[in-house]
Amino acid sequence: MSEAYIIGADMIAFGRYPDKTPAQLGGEAALMALDDAGLTIDDVEVFYTGSSFTAGASMSQQIMREIGQTGIPCVNVSNACASGATAVREAFIAIKSGMYDIALAVGTEMNPRGMLGGGPSSGLTPEGIFGSGSMPAVFAECGMVHAGKYGTTMEQFAKIAVKNRKHGALNPKAKYQTEASLEEILASDLIAYPLTKLMCSANVDGAAAVVIVSEKKAKELGLGRAVRIAGSGLASDPWEANNPELFDPNSVTRMAVAKAYEMAGMGPEDLDIVELHDCFATAEMLHYENLGLCAEGEAARLIEGGEVMLGGRLPVNVSGGLIAKGHPIGATGVANIVEIVEHLRGEAGKRQVEGARIGLAHVLGFGTSSAVHILQKA
Amino acid sequence: MQIPGRTNIAVAENGDAWVRAFRCTACGTAAEVPTIACRKCHARGTMEEFRAGDSGKLVTWSIVHRSYPGVPVPFVSAVVRLDDGISIKGNLNGVSHEDLRAGMPVRLVMNDAGGAKDKEGNDFVAYHFTAATVDA
Repeated sequence: MSEAYIIGADMIAFGRYPDKTPAQLGGEAALMALDDAGLTIDDVEVFYTGSSFTAGASMSQQIMREIGQTGIPCVNVSNACASGATAVREAFIAIKSGMYDIALAVGTEMNPRGMLGGGPSSGLTPEGIFGSGSMPAVFAECGMVHAGKYGTTMEQFAKIAVKNRKHGALNPKAKYQTEASLEEILASDLIAYPLTKLMCSANVDGAAAVVIVSEKKAKELGLGRAVRIAGSGLASDPWEANNPELFDPNSVTRMAVAKAYEMAGMGPEDLDIVELHDCFATAEMLHYENLGLCAEGEAARLIEGGEVMLGGRLPVNVSGGLIAKGHPIGATGVANIVEIVEHLRGEAGKRQVEGARIGLAHVLGFGTSSAVHILQKA
Repeated sequence: MQIPGRTNIAVAENGDAWVRAFRCTACGTAAEVPTIACRKCHARGTMEEFRAGDSGKLVTWSIVHRSYPGVPVPFVSAVVRLDDGISIKGNLNGVSHEDLRAGMPVRLVMNDAGGAKDKEGNDFVAYHFTAATVDA
């Protein structure tokens, strides 16, 4: 089986684009990634696009109407917050299969405004009667399981947001490029205890893209800035006693990362940088343990000790993560991969993790999917 | 007329109401909805309905301070594991926030969904939880 290499990767700045369409955002990101690879749309043999809110709208084809219609196979992927990463994985599989040499994967999204999850429904509106289905409440409840087991405090969850805002201040494409103190984060509006507003991901539009090629094509084009996809794992939620009433972000992530580590022949000890799915500060805490970055119950120690800060033992979410960079649902999983690629190439500017050679990108889709990719400098 | 406010609620003609639950006759796993096959052991057509009891334990919670327009806050959103083996989500009422603990015994109480009615004027039936030691 051929190895698969990312040879083009880029993203637009995350923010609000009221005068654009998701296809325009995705088209811009696609052209940026193609330019980065030194290729054009005419070179692309197969095209995958991940999006969530426009899942039924043939986004790949719409993007091709923006940047050039060549008649290649288009596949549209919807997998909640894992949509973008699933598109990348499908492109990876297409290259590994040997059927194609050049694949394009895009994630694009224009998020609705306001709080996601649980809105109105026909009949009796469940919100506030049968608890809450809002995303902040759901991830607060997951965090409280950790708090109940290990005594994790609201301040410790808040420190994750402090870290990610500090990182975001170094990223010119982040929604929030200013730091926020622990006091500011704790004093921002309480949404669902223990989550305040600044411990929730930023609701933005965005798009990101990668070009994935076969080993043969990568050698032809030059391996200089190429990044190998060493491992890819995708899982759905297995049976768990309390699931789905208690959302379970843990077992699905553990299954996906185990597959990715196995395929790569690597483990958490090999990683230099991690981008993980901090849709809420509580989620990042859980994923430290889910991804094996620390032992069970040790997650709070990772954030307290600064090990996951830029300059620490294993920097996590140096892009600012979903909390500072922003979380355009279908684009997020591609943007995480773009961030890792930039670090492995040594092109991440002020936030560069020095000497990074191996990185991991993780996403979690509500409902439930998790995707993990392990990338290695070629 | 009283009508279920959620598909997991049953209302008898005499107004008696309860939470519906299902148990696999092959492996004993309970679920809160009827499924084609057991989610756990995958046996087909084995999910048998039963009436859930009212006692359980708090699995986790959040105190919700911001919700959707028109929903009064704050309220406690709770995931409860009933002793019968199903997990359901609902509001937990009458417990001060500092007394909330994972594992605390709670009781399921049927209610009138805050007086909510459907278009035809039928009364919705819903449920909430209280501390096991407190009267509804």
